[in-house]
Amino acid sequence: MPVMGDDGITVTIANESDIVTARQMGRALSEQVGFQGSDLTIIATAISEIARNIVTYAQRGEIVLRPVTANSRRGVVVVARDDGPGIPDIARAMQDGYSTGKTLGLGLPGARRLMDEFEIQSEVGVGTIVTMRKWLRR
Amino acid sequence: MADLDFSAHRQAVHLTDEDIARHKRFVGLEAADLPRIAAVRPIVMERVDELTTMFFDFLRGLDVATPLFRRGDLLDEAKRMKREHLIAMVGGVYDRAYVELQLELGLLYSKVGLDTRVFPGAFYHLMNTVGAIVMANAGDDPQKAFQNFMAVKKIGFLDIGLMIDIMAAEREQTISIQQEAIRELSTPVLQIRDGLLILPIIGTLDSFRAKQLTDSLLRAIRANRAKMVVMDITGVAAVDSRVANHLIQTVAASRLMGATVIVTGLSGDVAQALVSLGVDLGTLNTVGDLQGGLELAERRLGYRIARQADSSLETA
Ligand SMILES: Nc1ncnc2c1ncn2[C@@H]1O[C@H](COP(=O)(O)OP(=O)(O)O)[C@@H](O)[C@H]1O
Ligand SMILES: [Mg+2]
Repeated sequence: MPVMGDDGITVTIANESDIVTARQMGRALSEQVGFQGSDLTIIATAISEIARNIVTYAQRGEIVLRPVTANSRRGVVVVARDDGPGIPDIARAMQDGYSTGKTLGLGLPGARRLMDEFEIQSEVGVGTIVTMRKWLRR
Repeated sequence: MADLDFSAHRQAVHLTDEDIARHKRFVGLEAADLPRIAAVRPIVMERVDELTTMFFDFLRGLDVATPLFRRGDLLDEAKRMKREHLIAMVGGVYDRAYVELQLELGLLYSKVGLDTRVFPGAFYHLMNTVGAIVMANAGDDPQKAFQNFMAVKKIGFLDIGLMIDIMAAEREQTISIQQEAIRELSTPVLQIRDGLLILPIIGTLDSFRAKQLTDSLLRAIRANRAKMVVMDITGVAAVDSRVANHLIQTVAASRLMGATVIVTGLSGDVAQALVSLGVDLGTLNTVGDLQGGLELAERRLGYRIARQADSSLETA
């Protein structure tokens, strides 16, 4: 169950249907913020990628979705956190086609392309935090 | 066969020592109750057959219990187990073995399709009878007899609590089996014309299910000698790079089997997002909607689609 609080919506990510929930929540929040049409799909797809990485590589974690305002611009921020195995070589993981899971290796670099801002912090044995932002076009 | 079901069921319904301890706390069962129960034991033991018969006579009066009385063999087994349960109830030891006995009895009932909800009533009736017998044998200390009976009654409530747990666990198991069945059902491969299959995909597409789906599609292609497949993904909840990858692989595998796949239901927005992700959709034959996909497939198979002039429609 997603939890709505002062600091946004928190969705626990542990399985396939949580990915769908995170996507839907992200879409709904973005719509409230003012995003429309293909932007909603873009944000939902980016959320899907990092949520799926949590399920695949860290088993469980959470995604926090929040509206943000900076320099009079509005947008959404998505923070994905897990206490999984972490990523030993972030630069490599960010390359197109790099995958330890025999999949397309497009999740991280692709999500970076879809969103306006993308940061990743990861430490082996500690976990991974991905922060992404998308701003409304003025 | 039935034995297999039995053990599968039994595995799902599992009460831990902690569960049992929790139920004992709920009913307030304490050490002081044990001698009281022991005092009632001879009175119950003397009438254990009578009480067993009564319990089943009560059930016999209920319409919903008819299935049990149609199965002579199982009825005898149920009576034997109920008798054993009555003895155990006043036995003073309420551990895993005690719960196991009840589980077995519950399983037997569910085997004949008996609604477990009839038991609290039958049980209440049984406890009343036990109470009446205990009080009738109170001698000169009815207050003590009453206390003794109250201790036995705690075991009655303990049983009902356990029964509810078992019922809840069974129901949960049923739900998860049904969910699994729905998942299976939601990937039907249908032949709609000679050489043409349609595969509507609904819900989420994890790796396990994607594999299942590919397998059943390939099997159907072979069985129906299909040349065209329309794969409709309108109902897929979350299309991302992994789902796209599954689709691409399914399409490639189908091609190796000699069938061309047309993907329908991929919206422009989703296609655009996938391309931005870097997914190569070049190998996918996509058509906006299912109708369009079917028409294209039929044309490729050499069917000529013509709208029938229906004059009755126009004049109606
Ligand atoms: N949350 C995470 N925890 C640990 N490793 C991760 C996580 N997310 C991504 N990775 C690593 O980064 C690699 C690249 O991820 P991604 O670009 O999404 O591609 P893919 O999931 O197809 O492998 C993964 O194969 C995995 O090794
Ligand atoms: Mg990924």
